[in-house]
Amino acid sequence: MIIFQVSTWFFVLSQTWGTLGYPLECKDEQGSSNRCISIPLDKLFDRVIQHVELISRVSEECCSLFEEMLVPFPLQPKTSRGVNICITKAIPVPGSKSEIQQISDKWLLHSVLMLVQTWIEPLTYLQETLNRYDDVPDALLNKTKWVSDKLPSLEQGIVLLIKKMLQEGFLMTELQQTLTHFNKQPEVLESTLRDYTLFNCFKKDAHKIETILKLLKCRRNHKLSCLLY
Amino acid sequence: MATQWIFLWLISSIGCLAADEVITIKDADKLLDVINFTTNIPSSQKLPHFTTCRSPEQETFSCWWSVGDYTNLTGPGMLRVFYKRSFKNTGGEWNECPDYRVGIENECYFNTTYTSIWVPYNLELRSENKDVLYDERSFNVEDIVIPDPPVNLNWTLLNTSQTGLHYDILLRWEAPPTADVAKGWITLIYEVQYRAVNDTEWKVMEHEKESYLSIYGLKTNTIYEIRIRCLQLNFDKFSRFSDIVYVYNFVPVTKESTFPVAFVLIFIVVGVAIVLMLIIFTRQHRLMMLLLPPVPIPKIKGIDPELLKKGKLDELNSILSNQQTYKTEFTNDDLWVEFIELDIDDPDEKLGHSDTHRLLSLEHLKSGKSLSMKDDDSGRASCYEPEIPEMDSLPFNVNLMEGNPEKACVLNSEGTVPNPDLSSPNATQAKAEPEKAKIESSGSEENMPVRPYPLIQTQMSNQSWANMDFYAQVSDITPAGGVLLSPGQQCKSEKTPEKEKPAEAKKYQFAMTSDSAYTSEIDAKKLSAIPATNENDQNPEKDLSKENCISTENQSEESPYTANETTVITMPPVSDYTSVHMVDSQHSLLLNPTAVQTKDMSMQVGYLTPDQMSSIMP
Repeated sequence: MIIFQVSTWFFVLSQTWGTLGYPLECKDEQGSSNRCISIPLDKLFDRVIQHVELISRVSEECCSLFEEMLVPFPLQPKTSRGVNICITKAIPVPGSKSEIQQISDKWLLHSVLMLVQTWIEPLTYLQETLNRYDDVPDALLNKTKWVSDKLPSLEQGIVLLIKKMLQEGFLMTELQQTLTHFNKQPEVLESTLRDYTLFNCFKKDAHKIETILKLLKCRRNHKLSCLLY
Repeated sequence: MATQWIFLWLISSIGCLAADEVITIKDADKLLDVINFTTNIPSSQKLPHFTTCRSPEQETFSCWWSVGDYTNLTGPGMLRVFYKRSFKNTGGEWNECPDYRVGIENECYFNTTYTSIWVPYNLELRSENKDVLYDERSFNVEDIVIPDPPVNLNWTLLNTSQTGLHYDILLRWEAPPTADVAKGWITLIYEVQYRAVNDTEWKVMEHEKESYLSIYGLKTNTIYEIRIRCLQLNFDKFSRFSDIVYVYNFVPVTKESTFPVAFVLIFIVVGVAIVLMLIIFTRQHRLMMLLLPPVPIPKIKGIDPELLKKGKLDELNSILSNQQTYKTEFTNDDLWVEFIELDIDDPDEKLGHSDTHRLLSLEHLKSGKSLSMKDDDSGRASCYEPEIPEMDSLPFNVNLMEGNPEKACVLNSEGTVPNPDLSSPNATQAKAEPEKAKIESSGSEENMPVRPYPLIQTQMSNQSWANMDFYAQVSDITPAGGVLLSPGQQCKSEKTPEKEKPAEAKKYQFAMTSDSAYTSEIDAKKLSAIPATNENDQNPEKDLSKENCISTENQSEESPYTANETTVITMPPVSDYTSVHMVDSQHSLLLNPTAVQTKDMSMQVGYLTPDQMSSIMP
């Protein structure tokens, strides 16, 4: 009896996990009434990469705008220099080409997804906190808002990519549990410095996502030549 | 002795103090340096420092330093570089430079093993015994990427312009071999610059992601130099410029190519000058005709427009009542009214083109003759404007109603009149409102009964000529070509708006203008007395009839020139109608004998026979 209950409970849970998983695009395989247009993998890759490139560029512009805004203030006190205080430091992505090429697609994609997900909340925070500055330029506000709005769609794109490349229907991986929440940031720096660090870290992570995706795309298209070091 | 001890004590104390800074004092010079260093006083001598750190492909990097003024530190090992890269949360540990490259400038090289991107590096330049820190740097490797320049520039000619003066090229190049663009590890964008050899400034093209670019509009027989540099996407450090490639296209110059251009230009300028001269010298006429279409202003031959202004009614009446002016005109055989023959018996018959042709040719004749009556005043709008002959042989209604609005004197076969409001040509012309004329023309062009005029054939006999003005409204055209003139518009409501029966849809009506200049109050009453036959719902017509009924008030505004336009068949709204009996062989309209007989009608406008006129006129 208990076994039966447990098994049904497990069965129900596994089913709901599917639904609780991330919203995917239309399910053609079930022959739903909605006519779905599925996108080929190449195009999807291109689109996601375009998306990331754009986000990367805007983040870089945000960084420089923020620096210009804070010109009178001395930045980067010695203590924080050279120390990795980015919020995503918990997501281990190696920094060399050879190392990345040895990592599996699945791991890379999940890391990228986690990176994107981690940044959604801080960017929203940045959006609000920018208003506290006196002479914040409109361009900076607009760009921050734009990036903040674009991240969820990037997340969707990557989920789609995962689904297509790895044929994973739902995403419940153990990596997600290591997601560091923004609020638990141990180093509480001065607010200006913190914001500056946030911008810089986001710019770096955007570049990270871009590079990883490009490597993955090459790997996908030209398996042999891309794996060769 | 005591002084010696004090001196020693001083020195030792200084030594002790200095020792806290972990610096060994060897001699006075070094002491000075130490003091300067610890107290941050800028030294007169330049310290060893890092000059630059660079990564060419994001996989390796190097840092260079210079000894500054400390030439004695030039030897290997005198200065050491320590680095630390921070992984995760750990501070990392300090290591010494993995590869000292001794060249012209001191270099520390980190190969792929020691290079990680997205990770902060700390570099320190220290003395041999690690005691003196001369300089330090921290950076991320991806931020110090300065690519190598692109290679293998070449160009091909795309095409040459027809004049032989310009040509386009396609420029190709390759990414630097060190950068691994293929795998997507690094993304480069390129900036192309070119200039003619004798120019001072380089033209900078937009950043290009591809490895090729088309350059348009280069001049032949000129040497161009092109160079390219690249940078990493979304970063800001440019590479050096590539080697310059020279582009040259030789096209033999033909003299004729330049000739026509100059000639054409001169010709255009001269032509424009001539046109301007013409405009200036011909003055008003040309200018006015070209720029300003003739605006109809009230004009009656022999009558001063001043009289038409309010308050001068008596004079006007006296003038207009002078029948000699248009009595003589009536003797002219051009009168429509005189020669219109009307066949009233076939109301249902559709008027074929033959009839319209007859009428049209009549029109032409009339128009031709009427030209003699016409003033030179271009402001007068009449049916006999020169443009009439230009009308082609369209159906009568359409023809007349198309083109110049003022010529729309005739109703279409359905017995309609384009715009009754504007079909009081006197009124419109008197008021010189071109827009109304436009409405008229636009309405007429619909070619459909816009505002059908009442057919008043049966009322002909009852019609009093007194109600008729210069213009008779054609109520119908018979198949034989006869034109039915309607006896005139009445003020009765029944006359004006009434749905015209389709059976009577093919009747022409000559609109008789409500030339109130010639209608007195008696006429107005008579106008109102005229019963309506086929009336259609037309508010404008109603208004027009009202306007006619109160024509006395509008006398001053009406166009007195309708007196002159006896043969003019203007567009309705017309108060009076004369039935046209038929069109005779000479293409003249014969009025309905019954209508003609009503000689008690007061002034007719335009379409009355001379008999009628004489009977009407005092």
